[in-house]
Amino acid sequence: MVNQLLVDLFSEKAIAVGAEVVSLSSVSEVAEFVAAKIDGTLLLPDFPSGSRLKLKTALEDAGINVVSDKFREVAEQSEGGLTGANFAIADTGSLVLESTAEDIRLATTLPPKQFALLDPEKIVADGLEAVPPLRQLHERDARNYIAYITGPSRTADIERVLTIGVHGPKELFILLIPGLSSDFLEM
Amino acid sequence: MNKQRSKDYRKQIDSALATPKLQDALHKFGDAFLVSREKAFAGLDFETLRGNIGEMKTGVREQHDELLEQFINNAEAAGAIVYRAKDADDANRYIAELAKQKKATLAVKSKSMVSEEIHLNKALEKAGTKALETDLGEWIVQLAGQRPSHMVMPAIHMFKEEVAELFGKETGQKEPAEIEHLVEVARQQLRQSYFEAEIGITGANVAIAETGGIALVTNEGNARLASTLPKVHVALIGIEKLVPTLEDAARVIQILPKNATGQLLTSYVTWIRGAVPSADEEKELHFVLLDNGRSSLAESPQCQDALNCIRCGACANVCPVYQTVGGHVFGHIYIGAIGIILTAFYHGLDNAAELVKACIGCRSCVSVCPANIDLEEIILHLRETVGDEEGIGAGKALVFRKVMQNRKLFHTMIKAASMLQKPITRGERTIRHLPLFFSPLTEWRTLPAVADTALRDAFTTKPQKVEKPRYRVALFGGCANDFLYPELGLDLIEVMNALDVEVFYPQEQNCCGIPAIYSGDKETAVELAKQNVDAMLAGNPDYVLTTCPTCAMALKHNFVEHLKDNPAWAERAEKLSSITVDAASFVLNQLDGAGMFADLAEKEKVTYHDSCHLKRGVGVWQEPRQLIEKSGHELVEMDHADRCCGFGGSYSLTSHPDISKKILQDKVRDIELSGATCVAMDCPGCMMQIRGGLEKAEVPVRAQHTIELLASALRNKETQE
Repeated sequence: MVNQLLVDLFSEKAIAVGAEVVSLSSVSEVAEFVAAKIDGTLLLPDFPSGSRLKLKTALEDAGINVVSDKFREVAEQSEGGLTGANFAIADTGSLVLESTAEDIRLATTLPPKQFALLDPEKIVADGLEAVPPLRQLHERDARNYIAYITGPSRTADIERVLTIGVHGPKELFILLIPGLSSDFLEM
Repeated sequence: MNKQRSKDYRKQIDSALATPKLQDALHKFGDAFLVSREKAFAGLDFETLRGNIGEMKTGVREQHDELLEQFINNAEAAGAIVYRAKDADDANRYIAELAKQKKATLAVKSKSMVSEEIHLNKALEKAGTKALETDLGEWIVQLAGQRPSHMVMPAIHMFKEEVAELFGKETGQKEPAEIEHLVEVARQQLRQSYFEAEIGITGANVAIAETGGIALVTNEGNARLASTLPKVHVALIGIEKLVPTLEDAARVIQILPKNATGQLLTSYVTWIRGAVPSADEEKELHFVLLDNGRSSLAESPQCQDALNCIRCGACANVCPVYQTVGGHVFGHIYIGAIGIILTAFYHGLDNAAELVKACIGCRSCVSVCPANIDLEEIILHLRETVGDEEGIGAGKALVFRKVMQNRKLFHTMIKAASMLQKPITRGERTIRHLPLFFSPLTEWRTLPAVADTALRDAFTTKPQKVEKPRYRVALFGGCANDFLYPELGLDLIEVMNALDVEVFYPQEQNCCGIPAIYSGDKETAVELAKQNVDAMLAGNPDYVLTTCPTCAMALKHNFVEHLKDNPAWAERAEKLSSITVDAASFVLNQLDGAGMFADLAEKEKVTYHDSCHLKRGVGVWQEPRQLIEKSGHELVEMDHADRCCGFGGSYSLTSHPDISKKILQDKVRDIELSGATCVAMDCPGCMMQIRGGLEKAEVPVRAQHTIELLASALRNKETQE
């Protein structure tokens, strides 16, 4: 069940830190949205909801140059990365990405544009409510690399002036898609 | 005392004071920080949150061995290699050997204060590995050959023009001093190094016993790159970063960014456990757990709370001394209030000795600490330790031990001083200039003259008009009220009499002992506590009133603390504490007496200065404001009303007059900008400082004690009748 209050709070907080949040309803809309944002290569690592949606085909049909392997070699030259999200945290506008697979990490750290698909059903209220699924992820996998991502990369290290995109992505697009996956342990 | 060290430190202060641009930047940062911090905590109860953190971290300290073992076992089970380093050399040796073994020519680092603490970069350079800082601020500081001046914002002391010059040397071309451009230069310049480096080095914000993993709280994304691209990841972790569970970690992460930079959450929180995939292999993950003085700190009952620190840096952000001289002067590696304490344990008392004295004691750090640490108490304890180790100076020892502990001698000498000053004061109440080497004392503020008749003597001749008193209260005058501003005590009698309260003045009372504590002389403070407990309880008063909040703090807290282990005194110290009230609160709360003054005053625009020890020492700030408004004045708030005035007792007179002067100038400006014609306060020390500053700057604003305003309201009514 989608809790609209949580969706609204999440969107408000994510937008406040510089993310763009859009509600879409189909895989073709996703492809259309991404295609409008980039001209260059898109990194698309493997993740369950993406495979189910046949995302790669849809993106390619929209004319996007999609790459799915050898990220270490191509990431530096690519323009965007697209992944799912395990769930999100409303009060800080954060995405939670189980990023133990290295491709997820490379796709979300190196390209200047980050796209993330989120099922609006999977939003918890705050950081403490995020702990039970976080613990489940720890119980499921012996080794973890889990990322909370809140807005694009930022710094205020020169004269305390907020500046976006110092090392990580310069832009973050959050694509809300209902019916993607209701499993918090799955991306 | 180490004279050369003190001399060197003084030079550093002078050069910082000669950099107004830095002060301006730090002031603006402090202001902006408070605004964004307040926003970040909207809807949350900071007191509850920090209470939880303090409790949790104290629990960790008590079960440290078990939790550390649990953390190590879980980390190793997940494939991490754990090394426990007893000190800086040990940690450096381990990491340098690892670098050699990996034939590493380059290590990319994300921000780690622990690596600064142990000077890891130098150790790696020696081993032939270049350690490259990738956090923007750290990189700037590294290029400049400096050390961070703030724990969260390392290059806060630098300006974009300087950064442009540094970056230009790296790129070999002239770089425009535009911040967005400079950030892009850093991105381009550093990007390739993540791919080239054999080792990535990070710190850790929490180490979670339950999982054997760590969490990194960052904004730039460089820690994610440094922990992903190189094949080897070394996380350098202070052992105090341990928390029991994921919930505890979530609580730290909830409060840390809000209190550090006013962000709800940083851009990235990264949870890492074990040897995760890296290219086609497994990552080699090393956890280096550093002690380096932390166990000794845990064993010091007076200082151990400092281990509860979560390194948000807020204690520096709000500190008037930090804002005045910056982190290179008010810090060693760690900076600000917590930095003073950590320096003593991690880098030795000698490196902390000057810093310990540079704290003005305003307690603003205590009020924002997210781990509920009483930083000032710990700093005072360290000052005492420095005093024991190095002596407090022959002059101070003579004053405190030989003179102050002997009340009659002390008071005789003050009275003698009032005769000696005559040629300087020309019979006026204010000393505007002093001759010879005393002259710096009156260069930037006038000083009050010692009164001809002390309050203790004036008191006996003041008739009291109370037939059936509701209460008999004893006045604890304190040195300033007694000898500098006796009229304040006499005004208090008028105010109390109007409310049917009789006041008496126990003649045996002595200095409250805070000046001795602030100078590191606890022995004198304990002796004075005893003298005062005896003196103040002797007449069996219903209440004991204070007009000085520093004295109030001494009577309410310090005496109890000094005497709690002494069965002959503990109960009486508790009794005195329980009946001690500052005068304004007494009028409002015990006497419900605000109505007595309703609209009696001749209406004036009044602004209120919160004295540090009244607001943050005894928790009083609304009461005086209510009384002032009720009596008919228009209350206007100045900016930074609760920022220290720079007095700090001997801080402004002998130990750090140069810093005090600067802090006072800030206060005078805020008062002037408020548009008030009178600034009210509840502390004779602040009165002395602020009055002196206003007079010297020729700002036509009066500085009055709230009690004086109430007394003059009463007199105003009499003249009208």
